[in-house]
Amino acid sequence: MTLFQDTAGDPRAARSNLADVLAWYGAVGDAAAGNPAGFAMRKASVAASLAEMAGTDESERSALLIAGVLHAVGAVGNAGCRKGEDLSARTIRSERWDIPAQGARICATIPALPTGCADLVRWQSERWDGTGFPDQLRWHGIPPLAQYLALADAFVRSPDPDEALADVSLQSGRGFGPSHARTFTMWFHMTGGESASQAFPLDALDAQSGAAATLLDEIADRIDAHNGVAGRWRRIAALAAATARALELDATSTNGLAIAARIFGAGELLSAHTEGEEFDPLARLGVEERAHNAVAAAELARPYAALRDAAELVAARGEWFDGTGKPRGLGRGELPLASSILAAAIAHASLDRAERLETAIGTQFDPRVVPALLEAAKARA
Amino acid sequence: MIELPERTRRISASRLHEILLAHDAKSVVDPFMGLPTHLNYLKRHNIAVHGGDLLEWFVRVGEGIVVNDLTILRDSEVAEIVEMLPGRIYPLDLFKAWEGVFFTEEQCVYLGVWQDNVRNLRSDGQTGLAILGLWRAFCYWLQKAQNPDDMQDIPPSELAWSYIRETEQWVIANMRRNTVRQGDVLATIGAQRADALFLAPPARNSFRSADARIWMWEAWWQGNPYFTIEHAYRDSLLGARAADPPAYARALASILASADTYPLVVVQTTEARLSDLEPIVRNARANVKIVAPHPFEVYVVATK
Repeated sequence: MTLFQDTAGDPRAARSNLADVLAWYGAVGDAAAGNPAGFAMRKASVAASLAEMAGTDESERSALLIAGVLHAVGAVGNAGCRKGEDLSARTIRSERWDIPAQGARICATIPALPTGCADLVRWQSERWDGTGFPDQLRWHGIPPLAQYLALADAFVRSPDPDEALADVSLQSGRGFGPSHARTFTMWFHMTGGESASQAFPLDALDAQSGAAATLLDEIADRIDAHNGVAGRWRRIAALAAATARALELDATSTNGLAIAARIFGAGELLSAHTEGEEFDPLARLGVEERAHNAVAAAELARPYAALRDAAELVAARGEWFDGTGKPRGLGRGELPLASSILAAAIAHASLDRAERLETAIGTQFDPRVVPALLEAAKARA
Repeated sequence: MIELPERTRRISASRLHEILLAHDAKSVVDPFMGLPTHLNYLKRHNIAVHGGDLLEWFVRVGEGIVVNDLTILRDSEVAEIVEMLPGRIYPLDLFKAWEGVFFTEEQCVYLGVWQDNVRNLRSDGQTGLAILGLWRAFCYWLQKAQNPDDMQDIPPSELAWSYIRETEQWVIANMRRNTVRQGDVLATIGAQRADALFLAPPARNSFRSADARIWMWEAWWQGNPYFTIEHAYRDSLLGARAADPPAYARALASILASADTYPLVVVQTTEARLSDLEPIVRNARANVKIVAPHPFEVYVVATK
């Protein structure tokens, strides 16, 4: 089964799908690092705009833009951000220093990315005076493009643009090279601190057919590891696919379900608990928590065309068949069958005794789904 | 005005760590360590590290961020370093020779005060941390002399305070024995046994173009503004052969021969020097792989 349609023989479509998955990965990284939504794209756009002002050529700017989008992917799975780690504040700080290096390692495993992208991610947090991380590089040992990423980070993080300008000026020769700080000041005065959101540079990607699907699998693995439930999505995806086959779900919905099984875990990055840890998956008490995770995961994926259908399935997986679920209270007839399959497969993954699912037939789950899912689970066992 | 070179040696500790991990190396010796921030990174990632260098201030910093597992400088102790203490007589003219040439009168006074205060610290760990923090303040001044309009005027004690206070974050334990020593390359290699040897040998005649931020800080630590580091290189294995290319190559070969017991040798170089270095490493080791992420950051990875 191919996750993404229409990529066979169409490199543009393959690149577009991959770009969507990469941009979603960036958003997932931000969620794991605790950054606000849209942070990565904004940071990338500001950095590219700074580089443009400094006269950097287009290919380098493309690499910078992608590096900006992926700036926090190292946070997914980082011990300082991971769930269930009982670490001191000091240890958390030093673990988080590894986010750029881990991000660089991740980027190095994605063959479609342009050269130099991984190292920009690696050195985005270095400081001019050598007090940055992870490598404590100093002065001209830091590539200028990595300095633009650092400047963009400082700017986007600052609540007030004028404050950012003052901070950068104060950090000239310390956090940033004097010439880079000068470029920032010039950029700020010429643009007023406004930079248009830049499009993902599709042409910079060397995407093969299937690259997006492979990457999506890897990201899902990392999300599960981060949430302390390694291998969960694979079990859920396999069970959901078998159930979809049994219920003769159409190809589009089946594809959407397969993607949804890979992306739903991203919603848990924003919550303190892994789903099923605090509330029984069949208990009404967990409705709010499940809906919160579902909406969070859907919001992360919704901006990207390749993931949009799946995002809608994920958004509805907190709904109940009897219409008492959250967030919208959708019931029979309004609830996509694929969403019900996904919800039942997720619940199944955290139940000790699978037969308990039967107690939720007609209330939480679609009556068609549970028998088919239990049958599929039995067959798999 | 003093010239600050644009091209500084880049050692990416995280990349070196990836190379060591790929070869399952749990300990490493670096006889040309320089400022050992990369060893601090490796230490933080549970690798036992052993460094060596000819310059004393590098070794002192190593005692602060490589050997030291828990000693930090508290606020009151930092305050005793960055300002003149009442009742103490300071050698205020110690760095007068630099006045007007590199620094202002006030900065030269502070250099003398700091030098005296740091030498009176009670532990090697604290001394190393203070030297590192003050060096960053010193570099700030040198750079500000080049970019007077782009950088802020920060009072010396405030600048030094912030940099010294910051060193606390690099102090970490890895439950391993980590060492640094002042000495030539063969002495360092001979003194330790480890899974890996990391070499970033200085280029021929490189002491002639040594960064002012390095040699001046050794002069500061020695309390002698006229101090030159040339002799330190000239008396060393590679420095003594600097004028004679074949002899320099033989010296490098002798280093690799003395590292025969190390399962892994990683030599860092540049693309420009690779053609000179690679044959020497290939002569010494059966398996050689080149990792070249940048023209000025090339690793020759050699195993038996």
